[in-house]
Amino acid sequence: MAFQSKQSMTEPRDRTDAVQGIEGVLLANRDRIVRFLEVRGAGDGAEDLFQDLWMRLTDRQSGPIADPLPYIMRAANNLMLDRYRSARQRDLRDKAWGEASAATHAPSSETSLISREQLRLVETAIAATGDRPAQIFRRFRVDGIGQRDIAVEMGVSLSTVESDLRKVYAALAMVRRQFDAS
Amino acid sequence: MQADPTNAEARAIDWLIRQRDPSFDDWDGFADWLAEDPGHAAVYDALACLDQDLDALPAAPRPVIADIATTPPRPSRRSWFGGAIAAAMVGAVSLSSLGLFGNAERIETLAGEHRSITLADGSKIDINGGSVIEIDPDRPRFARLETGEAMFHVVHRDNDPFVVETGGARIVDLGTAFNVVRRDRQTSVAVSEGIVLYNPDRDNVRLVAGKGIAAQDGDRQPPIVQDVDVANVGSWRTGLLVYNGTPLAVVAEDLKRTAGMQVRIAPEASALSFRGALIIDKNRGRTIADLAALSGTRAERQGEGWILTR
Repeated sequence: MAFQSKQSMTEPRDRTDAVQGIEGVLLANRDRIVRFLEVRGAGDGAEDLFQDLWMRLTDRQSGPIADPLPYIMRAANNLMLDRYRSARQRDLRDKAWGEASAATHAPSSETSLISREQLRLVETAIAATGDRPAQIFRRFRVDGIGQRDIAVEMGVSLSTVESDLRKVYAALAMVRRQFDAS
Repeated sequence: MQADPTNAEARAIDWLIRQRDPSFDDWDGFADWLAEDPGHAAVYDALACLDQDLDALPAAPRPVIADIATTPPRPSRRSWFGGAIAAAMVGAVSLSSLGLFGNAERIETLAGEHRSITLADGSKIDINGGSVIEIDPDRPRFARLETGEAMFHVVHRDNDPFVVETGGARIVDLGTAFNVVRRDRQTSVAVSEGIVLYNPDRDNVRLVAGKGIAAQDGDRQPPIVQDVDVANVGSWRTGLLVYNGTPLAVVAEDLKRTAGMQVRIAPEASALSFRGALIIDKNRGRTIADLAALSGTRAERQGEGWILTR
């Protein structure tokens, strides 16, 4: 049969192809991506950030990407989030500076913005939502299990999983407002 | 400004939850929501930022890998969860200084993207496309396959078995090369060298080279051991997919993962199964033509991909 005679196996397309692929998709969807960056909070800086995004994506070692647009949009979203983190970190540092804090770290999107103390409050808040929501949240957020799998594992409906997750996140949003107020 | 900040927050939470799914693609819908109110981006950022910080949350302790020789009676599922909750509560007091999962590394491949990683102990993991795997430098003998497919070549250590966790199952090596697929609610394992134990503390299925299982989530019985062709275990790495009466939808899923090909199966063809070997040709059209010919379907181009009809 035809398939038996073929000896050649998949040769992964080389990196140049992959990069050209990404560049092509970036170009073809330029307006859409810029609009996303704009509404995502970049405003007038969206064009510049598009360049940053371009560098990030074409610079990176990666294999061929099958579904590039969602990948790019996710990268754009992460780019904005990194900027938010850096800005917030600067704010926190400036605030701490006023309070004569010693060592200041260079802002980085890597470092956690919440203290141990705050993390403890977060954990307490999660536990306070109840056993099932806390467990569902933990499986979802810490163990990275999909909602459908959690539903099966816990023997509850998918909508229960969804509403429990919303409940825990809402509790966390409340905790966060308290951090900001303090 | 915002008419209803709580509502904005609830919507931001929904987006966050949805975006955790690796296959989320409604970025236009998300952009529309952001455009509705200039305040939405800030609400989202604040929550997303907090959500990222939750990476520091310690993982709930799992049942320790039982000494395989002297398996203690397995705690019921219920008490296991209870234990995890209790541990979570304790965590609220003693806490994250342990940072059990602080160093976990999440590797996500896109459809068609293959990646190979070597762990500190020399064990090797080949990751197929469309997969998510988690490794932890602090736990060198452990990996979690969240979704997708990976082939493991594990360096065996008598007293320190390598454990792969996927779905609710644990796969424990006894000196081994094996392939694991995690698809929607199903786990398949195929062994090409050595021995692995599937769920030693529950099903305790022993798989030697040339054997495999396919387990559905929620199965009450241990999965039935089947013969597999050793030569074809993990052969996706060289672009060869071998089937023995497999539903076309599963073949389509494999093609997407392994080669990034979008193949849809028309409803009237969905009951067909496929038997044979597919080579992922550089010319993807040939692969599709083979699949169509061997499954008695017709292939047509559709958008970026193909559709198989009867």
